[in-house]
Amino acid sequence: MKIKNIFIAFIVLLLTTNFYAQEANLNKDKSWYVPDYVKAQFAGNIGVISVGAGYQLFNKVLYTELLYGFVPKSVSEADEIHLITIKNTFPIYRKKIGENLTLTPIAGFATTLDIGTTTFTSLPNRFPDGYYIPNAFHFTLYGGAMLHKDFVNSKALKGADFYFEVGTVESYLWYAITSSEVKFKDVFSLSVGVNVYL
Amino acid sequence: MKFLKIIVSIAIMLTLNSCDNLFEFSVYEADVQTAQKNTTAKNLKLLESVQVDSQDFKFAFITDVHYFYNNLKIVVDDINKRQDVLFVIFGGDIADQALLKEYEIFYDIMQTLKKPYFTVIGNHDYNANGSAIYREMFGDYNYSFVFNNNKFVLFDDIVLESKKVPDFDWLSLALSDNEQFDQVFSFAHIPTISNDITPEMQETYKSLMVENNVSLSVHGHTHSYSYEEGVVSYLVIPALKDPEYGIITVENKTFNIELIEL
Repeated sequence: MKIKNIFIAFIVLLLTTNFYAQEANLNKDKSWYVPDYVKAQFAGNIGVISVGAGYQLFNKVLYTELLYGFVPKSVSEADEIHLITIKNTFPIYRKKIGENLTLTPIAGFATTLDIGTTTFTSLPNRFPDGYYIPNAFHFTLYGGAMLHKDFVNSKALKGADFYFEVGTVESYLWYAITSSEVKFKDVFSLSVGVNVYL
Repeated sequence: MKFLKIIVSIAIMLTLNSCDNLFEFSVYEADVQTAQKNTTAKNLKLLESVQVDSQDFKFAFITDVHYFYNNLKIVVDDINKRQDVLFVIFGGDIADQALLKEYEIFYDIMQTLKKPYFTVIGNHDYNANGSAIYREMFGDYNYSFVFNNNKFVLFDDIVLESKKVPDFDWLSLALSDNEQFDQVFSFAHIPTISNDITPEMQETYKSLMVENNVSLSVHGHTHSYSYEEGVVSYLVIPALKDPEYGIITVENKTFNIELIEL
């Protein structure tokens, strides 16, 4: 039920974003809370598919996003996995490579919360104090590249970012650094995604 | 552009090197690779081909790797050098957060061990989706085997994480044919000196050991060494925080233990 509610909240967010954004297009200014873009990502330890909305903050120095990610039973080989992620991406510099086309190396980190029954954010009572650290949070670190295209002739969409990232999770990185038995290639994986500006 | 080149080359390197985890979806995945499934059954098969020409033989006991992977490798390499150690028992806490990645790292290091190995499940291994991963990668939580007319019983005594009572009925049944064997050895992650199992469970376990003539009960979990000699002896081997493990020499109706500190 909890998960369903969160999912509905996201759908509503996406729909209102669309609604407000279209209005904003007409008015040429929008309220501060209306996201700048909606997005979808494949893989990257935040779900098979994750969807959400984001803001370009501090004069586009930081792209910050709220995402919901999902892993179905057929992929997880266990229960369905539901993940809420706050993702922060920093464009390192922007290089114009063509008309309405910009290439940007990116780097960033994300915080992911698992909303499931097998993980916990505070230790269940049956354990002695400090027996385990909470296991519902994980952090991912990544670097990659993003291609931005402005849609000058489109009324509905302003533009889009297409990106790929190579990333890992905090524990994996720690193991790779501290143990010669864990290779970097074993802990890094690829993700791809798109941001659509409305 | 230099940064971009590095990123692109990392991406290409990844693609070429390891297609298995080109894309990863969640740390909580339990999607065990087919080649890594049913490890216990495969090792039991391997054990059948281990030749032993006398009544005496040795086996090693390693436990609690958590994330001390370098020490696991040091211990595995040392055991490989010892021709007289015929197989290895791992005492649980294969993983620390019970993530598939941790199980895979353990599996890969244990692949370099040139002898059969058998695991018991630890409390850490039960967290998140760990119990499902363990079942897929290794097999049953409770099992036993016979080697050179000695019986080895591997028992899951995890309580808090599994939210169940240890299956003492299974243990009782597994030990019931003890008279047929020279000796019986029992293995479980949590020792009876730990309060992570209730005093009643400690007593139940101990009485089953006595009633069924178990020679030695071997454990991990506390991360420190302990040996209590008696009608039934109780041995606890330290975690791999330091490269340490035990060697048990089985001799007719008796045994010897040795703590190897590398």
